[in-house]
Amino acid sequence: MMTTGEAWKIDAFVDGELDLAGQLEIEQRLEHDETLRQRIESLRALRETVREKADRHAAPARLHERMTAMLGAARREAPAPRRAAKSSPPGWTQTLDQWLAWRPLVASTAFVTLLAVALNVAVLQSSKQDRLMNEAVASHVRSTVGQHLVDVASSDQHTVKPFLSQRLGFSPPVHELQLPGSVFLGGRLDYFDGRPVAALVYRQGEHVVNSFVWPDSGASDSAPEFASARGFRVAHWSQGGMRHCVISDVNRKEFQDVVNAVRSSATAG
Amino acid sequence: MADDADWRRFQQVAMPHLDAAYNLALWLTRNADDAQDVVQEALLRAMRYMGGLRLESARPWLLQVVRHTCYSWLKENRPAEQVLLDDPEDAWRDLAASSANEPPAIAIRKADRQQINDAIAALPVPYREVFVLREMEDLSYNEIARIAEIPIGTVMSRLARARGLMRTALTPGGRPVLRTVARSAQGGMST
Repeated sequence: MMTTGEAWKIDAFVDGELDLAGQLEIEQRLEHDETLRQRIESLRALRETVREKADRHAAPARLHERMTAMLGAARREAPAPRRAAKSSPPGWTQTLDQWLAWRPLVASTAFVTLLAVALNVAVLQSSKQDRLMNEAVASHVRSTVGQHLVDVASSDQHTVKPFLSQRLGFSPPVHELQLPGSVFLGGRLDYFDGRPVAALVYRQGEHVVNSFVWPDSGASDSAPEFASARGFRVAHWSQGGMRHCVISDVNRKEFQDVVNAVRSSATAG
Repeated sequence: MADDADWRRFQQVAMPHLDAAYNLALWLTRNADDAQDVVQEALLRAMRYMGGLRLESARPWLLQVVRHTCYSWLKENRPAEQVLLDDPEDAWRDLAASSANEPPAIAIRKADRQQINDAIAALPVPYREVFVLREMEDLSYNEIARIAEIPIGTVMSRLARARGLMRTALTPGGRPVLRTVARSAQGGMST
């Protein structure tokens, strides 16, 4: 004979409210306990039949109307600002009521719009940064894996600068880096961020450094922003109306030195 | 204290559960007009305690207020209904005695809408409320315990008892226990 305590357990089992241990225990007993199986079967039958056939009463339309009216009345009675409106002529009250009813909607719509715009701008900004970074990495990798590291192989800045200026339509700052272990390999024409750019190529120990430059008129000088992508270090900043983007796979400390050297050389004009 | 935004929030959070509120009220009062009055009263009360209102638990919260209001209403209008006919006897024994010729599951599935509704209506109120909350509103034991303000163990025992009574009522040759309850309920409804 099943005790009352066990009867609750079976209900809880059917309702999925038993803990895992309890659930497993009943499942195990089910295999050889025909009475238990029948009880569970009848519980399930009851549940399904009630769900299928019992009346679940929906609130009548009249109750909906009453509730809406009641809520409306309560709203009109409660808040203080509404009282001033009450003493005004009916037409004015109505207008004010409509305005008050709409105001939060307008405000929230405006807020949501503003938020959406801000988010979009932020996403666009970040996606622009990401794209720039990806292009810099891609260009750097292309230059190192292919045979096309430089268009003009010269350690002489007076050879490289005119070469680039003639072909680019702008004159990038071209300098050797005042940095131990740095070798100026030359310049290359490249294309990224939707425009032709100058790539100045250096060797730093065993590593290649690409320093991209393109005009960015209107941008005020900014401090370098550092990032890393796919094992490369990237820094970009604005300086003297030019946008700079330096990329290499040297270590952090060396990269910092390279960036500083590029910045001071660019200042030198 | 309550401003425009509060009323709007109340409307947004509470009104979607109007059907659940009405269903519980109707099953407890068993009268459509009374159920409407009770729901209206409950929502007025609920608005006063809007501080306890959370979007994610709006339904149990609102049902708790409805249940409270129903009990006040029952106390005034159906004092006899609240008496819990607690039969210590195991409901399963009733069933075992009555299901000699047909498996109860089959008898239960054969029951029609009227029989089911009558059997639910005949349950004593404390059993009926947990049964309705579980089988119609699909609430968890935890939520039912909160709504009915009883320990979870009591939810379980009342639910098992309610189902035992239902099975007995829907199985041919069921005990007359339920019919006695049903008759007193009929008397209550005519007032």
